[in-house]
Amino acid sequence: MIVCVAVVGHQNNPLYLQSFTEADDELKLHHIVQCSLDVIDERVNNPKKTGPTLNETFLGLLYPTENYKVYGYLTNTKVKFIFVTTDLDVRDADVRNFFRRFHSAYVDAVSNPFHVPGKKITSRTFAERVSTIVKSFGMSAAA
Amino acid sequence: MEDYAEELRTPPVSLVSLVGCPELHATISSYLHSEQPPINTLALPDFSKISVMARTQKETLDSGHPGGILKRDWILKHRTRVPAVVAALFTSDHVSGDPAQWLQVCTDLENLKAVVRGRNIKLVVVVVHSTVKEHSCDAPASRKEVSLDTIEEKLVFNADEVSEDRMIALRKRAEVDSKYLVIFVQNDSSELKQSLNRQAIFFKLGSIFAELSNTYYRDEGRRIKTRIERKSFKSIELNIRYCFKARASTLFFSIKKCLIGCIMPSKLQTIVSFTDWKRNAEEISRVAVYAEFHRDWVEALRFYEDAYHVLREMIGTSTRLPAIQRLVEIKTVAEQLHFKVSTLLLHGGKVIEAITWFRQHNASYRKLMGAPEVVFLHWEWMSRQFLVFAELLDTSSTTILNTSTLILGTPERPLTEWELHSAYYYHLAAHYLREKRSCLELALSASETANEIDSNSESVIPSIYVGQSTRLLQQGDAFAMQHLTDAEYILFALAEGKRFQDSFEIIALFKKSFESYSDIKAQRMASYCGYRLAREYFSISDFRKAKQHFDGVASLYRHEGWVTLLWEVLGYLRECSRRIGSVKDFIEYSLEMAALPISSSAGVQSPNHKGEYGPAGPASLPQREIIHKEVFELIKGESVSASNEGASNLDITGDQPLHLEIDLVSPLRVVLLASVAFHDQVVKPGVPTLLTLSLLSQLPLPVEIDLLEIQFNQPECNFTITNAQKPPLVASSNGEEGLRVENAPVLALHMDKWLRLTYDVKSEQSGKLECISVIARMGSRFAICCRAESPASMDDLRLWKFEDRVETFPTKDPSLAFSGQKAIQVEDPDPQVDLILGATGPALVGESFLVPVRVVSKGHTIHSGELKINIVDAKGGGLVSPREIEPFSIDSHHVELLGILGPDGEDESQTGPENIRKIQQSFGLLSVPFVNIGESWSCKLEFKWHRPKPVMLYVSLGYSPHSNEATAQKAHVHKSLQIKGKTAVVIGHRFMLPFRRDPLLLSKIKPAPDSDQVASLALKETSILIISAKNCSEVPLQLLSMSIEVDEDENRRSCTVQHGGENPIDPALLVPGEEFKRVFSIIPEVNTPKLGVGTVCLRWRRNPGFEEKSCSGTIAAEVVTSHKLPDINVEMAPLIVSLKCLPHAILGVPFTCYIRIENQTQLLQEVKYSLADSQSFVLSGFHNDTIFVLPKSEHILGYKLVPLASGSQQLPRFTLTSVRYSAELQPALAAYTVFVFPSKPHFTVEDVGEKKTEPSATE
Repeated sequence: MIVCVAVVGHQNNPLYLQSFTEADDELKLHHIVQCSLDVIDERVNNPKKTGPTLNETFLGLLYPTENYKVYGYLTNTKVKFIFVTTDLDVRDADVRNFFRRFHSAYVDAVSNPFHVPGKKITSRTFAERVSTIVKSFGMSAAA
Repeated sequence: MEDYAEELRTPPVSLVSLVGCPELHATISSYLHSEQPPINTLALPDFSKISVMARTQKETLDSGHPGGILKRDWILKHRTRVPAVVAALFTSDHVSGDPAQWLQVCTDLENLKAVVRGRNIKLVVVVVHSTVKEHSCDAPASRKEVSLDTIEEKLVFNADEVSEDRMIALRKRAEVDSKYLVIFVQNDSSELKQSLNRQAIFFKLGSIFAELSNTYYRDEGRRIKTRIERKSFKSIELNIRYCFKARASTLFFSIKKCLIGCIMPSKLQTIVSFTDWKRNAEEISRVAVYAEFHRDWVEALRFYEDAYHVLREMIGTSTRLPAIQRLVEIKTVAEQLHFKVSTLLLHGGKVIEAITWFRQHNASYRKLMGAPEVVFLHWEWMSRQFLVFAELLDTSSTTILNTSTLILGTPERPLTEWELHSAYYYHLAAHYLREKRSCLELALSASETANEIDSNSESVIPSIYVGQSTRLLQQGDAFAMQHLTDAEYILFALAEGKRFQDSFEIIALFKKSFESYSDIKAQRMASYCGYRLAREYFSISDFRKAKQHFDGVASLYRHEGWVTLLWEVLGYLRECSRRIGSVKDFIEYSLEMAALPISSSAGVQSPNHKGEYGPAGPASLPQREIIHKEVFELIKGESVSASNEGASNLDITGDQPLHLEIDLVSPLRVVLLASVAFHDQVVKPGVPTLLTLSLLSQLPLPVEIDLLEIQFNQPECNFTITNAQKPPLVASSNGEEGLRVENAPVLALHMDKWLRLTYDVKSEQSGKLECISVIARMGSRFAICCRAESPASMDDLRLWKFEDRVETFPTKDPSLAFSGQKAIQVEDPDPQVDLILGATGPALVGESFLVPVRVVSKGHTIHSGELKINIVDAKGGGLVSPREIEPFSIDSHHVELLGILGPDGEDESQTGPENIRKIQQSFGLLSVPFVNIGESWSCKLEFKWHRPKPVMLYVSLGYSPHSNEATAQKAHVHKSLQIKGKTAVVIGHRFMLPFRRDPLLLSKIKPAPDSDQVASLALKETSILIISAKNCSEVPLQLLSMSIEVDEDENRRSCTVQHGGENPIDPALLVPGEEFKRVFSIIPEVNTPKLGVGTVCLRWRRNPGFEEKSCSGTIAAEVVTSHKLPDINVEMAPLIVSLKCLPHAILGVPFTCYIRIENQTQLLQEVKYSLADSQSFVLSGFHNDTIFVLPKSEHILGYKLVPLASGSQQLPRFTLTSVRYSAELQPALAAYTVFVFPSKPHFTVEDVGEKKTEPSATE
């Protein structure tokens, strides 16, 4: 189950962070998302020499922490998408699919002429789309 | 890792026992211990002690019915009690002594054999010779001991002491191979030989022990392996134990031979590969050992892993112990197995495998929490796993330096970066330990029988099995072990848990993780660890340390705009400040929190997650408002009580007013931001200008400011703004006298709304006027000093800039918001003095050009005036051009300031020394005397142009309008003028030959390469020099004289220069563009290729126009322009051809012309000549001929010509060729032109001819 998704701007500032847990552990998820930025920095600054990862936006598993796993995705504008899941076995294809859908939702949200680039995303439509994507991620994983 | 027993942490060391002859034990032990690999010795002084090696009763029993999985002391036993080899030491006296002694030897040997056989321990018999007789022994005889290779020899040599029969009997009794019967010679008389042989002999003794112990451990390993393979064990417990043992045996076996090789096989390989192993037998053996070890090592690992997996399977199946204890035991054993596997993997350099292994280990046991009462044990265990693995990673960190090159993990389960660093494991160790602590606290609070816990645990001790505990019961003198029930075990575990202070360990772990993450530049991970570290400090009430760490963390969150996290940290910081009693910090943190961009209204904290949030509660707008109210109550003087725990109350007292500073980088900019913009960029002194002061606060509730103080760099401009709605503060009234006070109707700041105030500011002082700070006073004891910022260069509020809100401008005028500055330039006072530069026209090169300067005072008196003069090349650059290096100009300046003439024309340099005066070539400085209003002062600047160059003349006058020099501002007047420099006259020259007289100049026919430019003249022949002077300026000039000045010395004789006519006594007026010419005749006297002719000197002056003459009254000074004539080449002409002919003819009238050929040489000259036909004339005479001209004589050719056409006509062309010189001479065309009249003109031919020919005749 995805417990948290986040959009982080190119200055490593949070643009959107939504948790999907009943429990009140939002703060912890904030911490987890923020810490994962270190891994992204590390991956971006020291890219692996293997060919196909050069222009790869999908960063894969960032790090496992106590009960969570953190996955990352980096757009060409250096905006990072991060999600935190409690699932132990996550299929790579699911994650890629999730990020692809999330990216298109993000693109739609920031294409709004009333949105100022670099500011937090407050669009309600975006939030709804994100929660749909998050829910469907759970579904496809179950299936 | 230190918790583990040493035998678990270090590689096994084989054990050898020495029995008998205790005096030798120390020597042998120390030698064996220093072996590579070392061998430990168990020294037993006599044979009565051998029972320690014997199998105990209990062991025999236990082997059938295991009470646990692993015995705690199994490895220890093999390291300290159960040797692989026993060496029985007998003195030779006893062996060869009387039957009683021999019997004793036999008995001892039998007893030893009985003990040894039970364990398959290998036996070595050593016979010690106390002395050696001085017989003819060679080197082997003098050895202290005899190796297996020389044993036969040795027996022979010692036959005189111990009979061979005895030796054989001894060997048979001992049932050892003959090579394991060793003779040891103790006292050798020859020290030298002893030391020489020591090394080799000890080596051989050592190798016997090593070989035997290898055999022992290998056999043991095989025995257990066979048992495993046959599945002959009765239970899974035994399986694990056997796997463990098998592994251990294997390891013993391998380590025996090469300890270094075992531990660092990769290193060894490196060493070997770099060594010339062909030459080094030892290295070869190491390679062999390595290869051997490698096989065993893999096997060891395999057995460990087998044991581990079997153990994992046991969890669901085993029912032997009560559930809780069973899990504890399994986990403890798993921990040890895992430790061994990890150690082997890491030491083998297989980091990735080790990490993957650890991950599996973690995954398989994480969920096995066990009974809820003792769940803390699980967390403690988890924490230990992470800690131990972190420490293992640290110790083997040298091998994982270049992790980036590793291919991380498997494709399906990639390893992430942090999993390679110990920091990750330290962090999680700390996390699980925290988990343990909270669970333990929960468990302790749940159990009401605290006293019972303490009493219960007293007699519980660790069992002989790993991971078990038993109760020690005292029954009379005897002790008995009793298994614990689970309930008892829980109590015991709780009691144990209570004994430890976990907080310090958690702090240590977090600190370690924090440092490690900082080292690898993972600042956010480090911050997170720092945050948790600080929380631990907070929980143990070490607020200063907590604050220090929180501060570090907060700065990162501020920087990156993680508001929720910042809120949390600030909440802690605020609480820390409150507990420490630091009012200022408390207010700062509170204000910052209140101004954070948090707008969610859901501020209700769910009660079941109280521990989740810090003291500030969840981030929300109501919470911000609460904090805002609280801090402003404090500011207003109401003391804030410490919330619940008894910390000191915070209060701002009257004698300690609080003053907050907000600078450009302060996080408190969100609390108060002061933007100051002047409406203009420059202002005249004394003229008021508008200034807009804009204040912005992000505090959630309106803030009333009592008083605003605006401070400038010119303190006299400072002013205060009071709030009309508040009574004036007492503090403000005692301020400086005369300070301006403004009154504003409203001084309230609303969230995210600019408060704009516009006032006049007037400065009397020129220079920069800058607003420095704005101080807002609230209450009598609180002030915020806010650094003023220019709207043009104002940074966004770091945290608020990411918020989706409407940007507002600090000023109403948007252009001012983009360009407004907090500083304004106050101009100098306007000068009321005129500076007039009166220059007329361009300057001429060579003359001294005067520029009159006039200072006229209109409204200011001039005190301490100073005139600065500067000349600059108008085209830019200096007045010196590096390309034109002038030989004549000593000073390289093309334009020069010569001097300054006073108003009356006298040189200013004669005036008093008090006048500041400095004149350089392009710069001048002079002081201007006092000039009253309406008066004027003037002077003249004298320049000289050396080259025609335009220059800019800058003159600036600085003066103070008031007599008081110290305070007065200087006013400045600047004037500039471009002055062109022109060449006045251009002098040209031209050499000409005499009319119709052409010398044959050989150098002209065959010119030397460099003589192109040089004019050649014939020696002692008159040549004509025409000097022309052209007026290039725009003013008429008066020529006074023109002459050629010959250099004095030798040139007087070498050439004669004569003026063609009379001197122009009457000064010739040369209007612009006109040319003046003068003719000179020149007769070279000396035959030289380079003859200086002289210098043309032209004296001239400006011709003053009518008006100028009348006003200036002075006549311009004379200027001499000189022009050096080029050198000429003088040579003797061998032949001279001259034409004698009338200058004109009449159509149809015949006339005669003569061509005279003069031979100037002493030689006979053969000359060919030719005469070309001309259509204008009919002629009679020879066309071609060759003639001979006698030396120093002449030959005349005569022709009769009849003109056929009128006008200017060419005579037939005459060409002469000198055979001697192969030179052709053709006179100039001009010389062969005559004018043919159509009919006889009305003047007499003689007259015209005379006049026309006159100049040529005279020259």
